[in-house]
Amino acid sequence: MSKRSKTVKITMDNKVLQVKRKLTILQAAECNGIYIPTLCAHEALTPFGGCRMCIVEVEGMRGFPTACTTPVEEGMVIRTHTAQVQNERREILQLILSEHTSSCLICGQKDECREYMGTIRKAGVITGCRYCPNDGQCELQDVVEYLGLKEIDYPIYYRQLRVEKEDPFYDRDYNLCILCGRCIRMCQEIRMADVLAFKQRGRQTVIGPAYNRTHWQAGCEFCGACVSVCPTGALSEKARKWEGKAEREEVTTCSLCGVGCQVRLLIKGEKVIGSLPAEDPLVNDGQLCVKGRFCVTELVNNHRRLRKPYRTQNGAELQISWEQAIELAAKKLSDCPAERFGLLVSPNCTNEDLYVAQKFARVVMGSVNIDTTARKFYGPGFNAYLNLMRMSVPLADLSKASLILCVGLDTRFGRSVVGVQLRKAIGRGAKVITINPRNNNLTMIAEKWLQPAPDEMVHLLRSLVKLTEKKGRRTMMSASRRKRGDLADELSQVAEMLGEACSPVILVGSEFLQRRESPQILEAIGKLARNTCAGVLPLPAQSNLYGSVLMGAYPELLPGGFSSTDKGRADDLSERWSADIPTFPSRRSAEALLWGRKLKVLYLIGVVPPNREPHSDFTIFQNIYPSGSPGQADLVLPAAAFTETDGTSINGEGRIQRVRKAVHPPGEALPDWEILCRIARKLGKKGFDFGNVRQIHKEISRFVAGFGNFAKPRRKASPLLIEGELRVVRRKSAGKKRADKKPPFMMNVSTVEHIYRGFPLTDWVEGARMLFAEETVDVSPEDAKKLGISTGDEVVVSWEHFQKSLLARIVSGQQRGMLYATLRNGEFIEPNPHPVIMRKKDV
Amino acid sequence: MNSLQKAKQEARRKWDLLKNSKIPIIYMGTATCGRAAGALEVLESVKKILREKRLKAKIVQVGCIGPCYLEPLMDITMPGRPRISYANVNSEKAKKIIESLLIKNDPQTKLAVGHFGDESDEFTNGIPRFFDLPMLKPQERVVLRNCGFIDPQQIDHYLANDGYLGIINAFHKGWQKVICEVQEAGLRGRGGAGFPTFKKWQICRSSPGKTKYLICNADEGDPGAFMNRSLLEGDPHSVLEGMLIAAYAIGASQGYIYIRAEYPLAIARLKRAISQMREYGLLGKNIQKSGFDFDIVIKEGAGAFVCGEETALISSIEGKRGMPKSRPPFPAVAGLHGKPTIINNVETLGTLPNILRNGATWYKQFGTQGNHGTKTFSLVGKIRRSGLIEVPLGMTLRQIIFDIGGGTRKPFKAVQTGGPSGGCLSEEFLDTPVNYESLTAAGSIMGSGGLIVMDEDTCVVDVAHYFLDFTQQESCGKCSPCRVGTRHLVEILERITKGQGRPEDLSKLQTLGETIKRGSLCGLGQTAPNPVLTTLRYFRPEYLLHIKEKYCPAAVCRELVEYRVVPGKCTGCQRCVSVCPTGAITGPRAEPHNLDPTKCIKCRACYEICRFDAIAGDAIVIRSRREVADEQTQ
Ligand SMILES: Cc1cc2nc3c(=O)[nH]c(=O)nc-3n(C[C@H](O)[C@H](O)[C@H](O)COP(=O)(O)O)c2cc1C
Ligand code: SF4
Ligand code: SF4
Ligand code: SF4
Ligand code: FES
Repeated sequence: MSKRSKTVKITMDNKVLQVKRKLTILQAAECNGIYIPTLCAHEALTPFGGCRMCIVEVEGMRGFPTACTTPVEEGMVIRTHTAQVQNERREILQLILSEHTSSCLICGQKDECREYMGTIRKAGVITGCRYCPNDGQCELQDVVEYLGLKEIDYPIYYRQLRVEKEDPFYDRDYNLCILCGRCIRMCQEIRMADVLAFKQRGRQTVIGPAYNRTHWQAGCEFCGACVSVCPTGALSEKARKWEGKAEREEVTTCSLCGVGCQVRLLIKGEKVIGSLPAEDPLVNDGQLCVKGRFCVTELVNNHRRLRKPYRTQNGAELQISWEQAIELAAKKLSDCPAERFGLLVSPNCTNEDLYVAQKFARVVMGSVNIDTTARKFYGPGFNAYLNLMRMSVPLADLSKASLILCVGLDTRFGRSVVGVQLRKAIGRGAKVITINPRNNNLTMIAEKWLQPAPDEMVHLLRSLVKLTEKKGRRTMMSASRRKRGDLADELSQVAEMLGEACSPVILVGSEFLQRRESPQILEAIGKLARNTCAGVLPLPAQSNLYGSVLMGAYPELLPGGFSSTDKGRADDLSERWSADIPTFPSRRSAEALLWGRKLKVLYLIGVVPPNREPHSDFTIFQNIYPSGSPGQADLVLPAAAFTETDGTSINGEGRIQRVRKAVHPPGEALPDWEILCRIARKLGKKGFDFGNVRQIHKEISRFVAGFGNFAKPRRKASPLLIEGELRVVRRKSAGKKRADKKPPFMMNVSTVEHIYRGFPLTDWVEGARMLFAEETVDVSPEDAKKLGISTGDEVVVSWEHFQKSLLARIVSGQQRGMLYATLRNGEFIEPNPHPVIMRKKDV
Repeated sequence: MNSLQKAKQEARRKWDLLKNSKIPIIYMGTATCGRAAGALEVLESVKKILREKRLKAKIVQVGCIGPCYLEPLMDITMPGRPRISYANVNSEKAKKIIESLLIKNDPQTKLAVGHFGDESDEFTNGIPRFFDLPMLKPQERVVLRNCGFIDPQQIDHYLANDGYLGIINAFHKGWQKVICEVQEAGLRGRGGAGFPTFKKWQICRSSPGKTKYLICNADEGDPGAFMNRSLLEGDPHSVLEGMLIAAYAIGASQGYIYIRAEYPLAIARLKRAISQMREYGLLGKNIQKSGFDFDIVIKEGAGAFVCGEETALISSIEGKRGMPKSRPPFPAVAGLHGKPTIINNVETLGTLPNILRNGATWYKQFGTQGNHGTKTFSLVGKIRRSGLIEVPLGMTLRQIIFDIGGGTRKPFKAVQTGGPSGGCLSEEFLDTPVNYESLTAAGSIMGSGGLIVMDEDTCVVDVAHYFLDFTQQESCGKCSPCRVGTRHLVEILERITKGQGRPEDLSKLQTLGETIKRGSLCGLGQTAPNPVLTTLRYFRPEYLLHIKEKYCPAAVCRELVEYRVVPGKCTGCQRCVSVCPTGAITGPRAEPHNLDPTKCIKCRACYEICRFDAIAGDAIVIRSRREVADEQTQ
C-alpha cells in the first residue's frame, strides 16, 4: 500500500479544504468554522447518529448521510445547508419536537415571555410553558432558532412520564428527553458505570437503568456526568435548576478531598451557581465525583453561612464589628501563656492559610501548640500514613499498571474519578484486586476480592509481605502446594500476580484507618510495595493533608517538613522570621501537647469542636458555618470558603495546584490568613503585613521547594519529601481479653470522611444525606433478618457501659456478625473493632 | 480425508438400505408447520396403530416439503414402490390409510395427493406425481432439495445425498476460487437487499486483521415469513455446510448463528447437527486436514425485528442492546468486536453447497441475467395453496400467485412482498418478474421472501396500518424520523380507518413517509413507510373513499361498517351463532337469523365463517359532530 498522506482534500460548501484523515464530516466542518446543527453528537462521546440533525449532502452518496458519523474521504464534495437539507432537517426537527413539550421553543410570544415572565418560574413545575429549567441554555432551542422553525405540523404527544425526583442532586423529566443517548454514552463510555441504558422499543423507548432498578441499585455514582451532557432539560441539577445561564467561570481546585480535581465554577453575579469538571488531563481528566459536581454549590451557598463576627456572652450571641472582634481576640491572646494556647487548623485550608497559621502560633504566641484535625483522623497510624505518602506515585501511573491492588478503597461516591481510572485500566486489560472487608462497587469489577474480617487485615497483608519477599519465592510456591485452605491459596495467587505484574500500583483507601491495627496495616502496605516494586498512592480524605505537613502545621514539623528538633533549621527559621521560635519538647508526643489538656485559649480554624475535646477558657471559632453546639465558641469569626479565597493546595499525589477566588465571601467574612494577620498586627507582631496571598506564597517559597510561581504553580506530582517525623502514641494493644462467650457482634467504627472544614457534608448538603453514611451502622442481611431489622430502623448498640442508637442499613456481601458504624467526628470506641450487643430499638 | 469418505460410504450404505427397505417406511413431516397442524398427535396414533396391529414399519421424521396447507402430511413407501403422499391426515385418516396400505396393499388412491415415482405404474395409477402437482410443478428445488426427504437429525442422510461435497470441493479449489465461483454464480444476498455475496466477502477478506467472524442471520423477524425456519428444521446441515464454505472463503475461524429463541425446534436441530459435525471432524481445528479451523456458536436472540439488521445483530451478539449503528464502517470492515465480519442469511448460506457442488454454470441455469438462482418464499394470506415455495428468480407474480398458489377465493386485490418493509402491489404488477430491481422499482422490496396475498376482503388502509403499527413498535427508538415519524404515520392511518381522516392527510402521509425513508438510520426506518407509500400510490381511491365518504369498501374498518344478515342468503345454519362472542346473532335453525347491531362488536367472526356470504358489511357514514349539529339546527 502506498504511503497515505495524513490529510485529505475535500470540498465543503464550495470551499476546498485540507483536513485530517479520520475526521468525521462534522469535525472537519467544526475545524473550519462551518456550523452544522447537532443534537446527539458530543465531542467527548462516540458518534451516535440518532437525531439526524446533522444530515448533509455528499456527492455520490445515497440519501443524506449524517455528518457526525461519516468520515471524510479524499475528494468528497459536501454541501451542508442546501435548501433540501434544511427542509429535511426542519421536517425531522418537527418530529423530535412533537415528542417534546415545546412551547418554550416555538411560541410566538417567547421573546416577550423571556422579558416579562421571568419571575414566576420559581414554581416547582419543570415541564410546560417556559418552565423548563434549561431555558436559555438548551441546545434544542438553539437548533430551533437556527432552522427558524415556527410551528409544528404534528400533534404533540405528551408522554406522561412521572418526573423522577426521588434521587439526590438531579431530577429526571424524561418528557423532555429527545433520546439523543448522550447520557447513556457518557455513563457507559466515559464513566464506565453502565447505569443507564435505553429501555423498551418504539414509542415506549425511555432512558433509565435496565431491569427497572433504581439508580441507587444500579450503582449510580451521582457523578452528574450525564446531567452535564444532556442537551435538554430532561436531566437537571436540583440546585441549579432555576439559576439560568452562568456569566463567568473560574477554574479552581476542589477542596473536598485529597484527589484535588480541577473544577470549573459557574458564576452568576456574586454566586457560584454550579461546578463542572475542568478539561484538565492531569488529575481528573474531565470527571468529577458527586462532591465536586454537586456538593460545592450547596455547601458554599447555604443561607446559614457566617457573615459577621459575633461573641457569645451568657449564652447570647452578640454581633460585633471586625475591629471589636480583633480587639477581643488580641486581648485574650495577649493574656495567654504559650503553653496554654492551642491552634487547631483544618487540613482543608490552603497552604497560605496553613503557613500563616503555624507562623502565628510559633511567632505570635511563641507556642508549638499547632496541629490539624488529621492527627485525630489518622490517630496512631498518622506517621505510617505519611510514610506511605513518601512513596506515592501519580494517579496517571494507573494507566501503566498491569495490576492495581486496592486496600480498603471505596470509589463509589468519594474518589469516583479514581474509580473511573480503575475501570479504564480494566478495559485496557489491567487486573484489579481489592482487599476490603466490606462490599462496594469495586468488588464487582475486581478480578479478585479478598474479604478478610477487619481484624484479619494485618495478618493478610503480612502474609502477602512474606509471600512476596524475594528469598521467600520458593517457600511461597511450596506453601501454596501444601494446600492450606482457600485463603492461603488465594493469597499465594495474589502474591504471584503481584510478583509478575508490570509496574503495579497499590491504592490506599480509608476503610481501615481508624481500626486498632491501622499502623501495622499501613506499614505492611509499605513493605509489600517495596517487595513488589509497586507504586503506592494513598488517597487522603483531606484536601491539603500534604500541604499541612509541608507548611509545618504540626508541633514536630517546621515549614518545609523539617523536624522541629533540628536545631540548625529552627535557628535558621527564627533568623529569617526575626523572631524567637519555640522548640519542640522532644520527649513528649504532640498529641499530649494539645489534645487532652485544659487550655486558656483555643483557636479553631476550620475545626468544629468535637464533643470530647479539650475544654478551654476561651475558644475562638473561625469557620464558614456556626458550630453545631452553641456555647462552645466564645468568639465566632466568619471565614471564606475555598471558592472565595486565593491560594494553593497540594493534592495526594503532591501536585501544587491553584485555588482561585471565584466570588467574594458572604457578608463580612474574610479569608483565614487575613484574619490571622489582623490579629497578629493588633498584637504588634512583625512579619504579618501580607497584603495578598501572592506575598505569602513568596515567603513560603523561601522555605519550601517547588513553591514560587503563584500564578502557575508547578503541578508536578511528587512524593512527600520531608525529613521530619510525626510522633504518635501507639495505643497499647488491647491484648487478647478472654471473653466468656463469643460476642454477638464486632463493631467497626469509622468517622465520617466527607468533611469540609470540620463539617460533615451531610450537615449542609441535602443530597449528601441520602448518599453518605452518618450515624449509621451497616448490618449484614443475615443478621438483619435474625434481628428483624430493615434499612432505616433505629438500633441500639451497647458495649460495656456505653450505648448508642444508630440507623441501620442492610448491606449485602458483608460478613455476618460484623457491624460497620460511621460516626460523626471524634467518637471512638477502644479498641476498634470492639465486641458489642445490638438490638432493635423499642418503639 | 479418508475418515469422511469412509463415513460417506457408510452413510450411503445406510441410505440405500433405507431406500430398498424391506419394510414399509412412513414419513411424517414434523417441522413446526406440521406440528402446528397436529403432526405430533398423528405420529403418536400412527405408532399406536402399528403397535396394535403388530405392523412393522420404519418411521422417518422429515422437514417441511412445502405445501403447508396440506399439513399434516404423511407419506408411505411400500417396499419396492414409490413413496405416496397423503395430506391433511388426522388420526382416523392415518388409521384408514395404514390399514389399507400396509395390510391390504391398497394405496387408497382417493386419499393420496401425489407420489414420488418417476411415472405412474399400476400401483400408483390414478395418483398424480407429487412434483406434477400445480403447486410443485413450476418450482425448482435447489436450497430445499433435501427438505422433506431426509431426516434432519441424521447427518448420514445428508452425507448420503452429496452432503459436505461442496466444502470438500472448496478446499480443493482454495479460497480465491471459491469467491470466484460465487461471483460467477451471481449469488446475491437472500436476506433482503440482494447485495452480491462475493463482493461482501472480498471486502471482508481484504480487510486487515487475522480474526474474522461469520454470522448466520437466522433472526427472521418478518411476520408471516418462515423460509429460514423451515430450512433449518428440514436440512440444518446444508446451512452449516454453507457456513463452512463462507468462513473458508473469508478466512473466519469463528462463526455464530444468531437465531430467535422463538425457534426452539430449529435451535435443537442445529445443536444436534453441530455436535454431529464435531464428531465427523467437520468443525474444530484443521478441518479435514485442510489447515482451516472453524467453530460455531449459537446465539439466541430475544426476537426483536430490528435485530435482523446487521449492526444491531452484532450489538446483540456482543451482549448490548440491539441498536443499529451508522455505517461506514461496514461490518465487513469492522463488525463484531471491531473485527471484519460477514453476515449472511440462512438461505444465502444454504445455497452455497449447491453452487460449490454443481458449479456456477449449473446454478446460473436458474433465474435471469443479474438475478440468478432460486429464491424461497413463504406464500401466505388469502391464497388457496399456501406454503413454502422455491422458484427461479424472474418468475412473475402471477405465476407464483395463480399457478403455484392457486389464486384467491375472492377476487385478487394486492400482494405484499418483502414483509413489513415491503410494499403492497396491485393487480397491474402481477406480470412483474420477481427480481430485486423490478420490485424496488415498484416501490417494494424482495426482502427475505414473505409474500402476503390479499383479496377484496382486505382493506389496504388497514393493511398499511397493521404493518406500520408493527414497525413502529419494533423501531429501536434510536433515530427520530423512525421512532416518532412512524408513530405519526400510525396515528394518521388510524384516524383514517376510523373515518376521521382529513383531506390533507394524504399529502401528510406522503411527505412524512418520504422523510422517514430518507432520514432514518437503518433499513428498518428506511423501508418502514413502504406499505403506506405503495398503497397510497396504487390504491389512492380507497384512501379517498375512507376520508371523503367514510366508506371502507372491504368492510374491514370497524368504525365504518355495520354487519347485518342478508335474509335471502342466510340458510340458518347457525355457524355464525356459534362464533359470535357477544351473542348478537340469534334465530332458530334453518331460518334467517337476526343480528343485533347494538350487541355487535364488529369482530368480523361471523363474516369470515359464513359459507353463504349471508353476512354483509354495510358501510355506515360517519358524520362529524359539527355536521350533526348543523343538521339539527336546520
Ligand atoms: C430491520 C431489518 C430486519 C432484517 N431482518 C433480517 C432477517 O430477519 N433475516 C435476514 O437474513 N436478514 C435480515 N435483514 C437483512 C440483514 O441486515 C442483512 O442484510 C442480511 O442478513 C445479509 O445477508 P445476505 O447478504 O446473505 O442477504 C434485515 C434488515 C433490516 C434492516
Ligand atoms: S450520575 Fe454518573 S453514574 Fe449516575 S447515571 Fe449519570 S453518568 Fe452514570
Ligand atoms: S436524558 Fe438528556 S442526554 Fe439523556 S437521552 Fe434524554 S435528552 Fe439525551
Ligand atoms: S431507523 Fe428505526 S430501527 Fe433503525 S436505527 Fe432508526 S430508530 Fe432504530
Ligand atoms: S448529531 Fe449527527 S445524528 Fe445527531
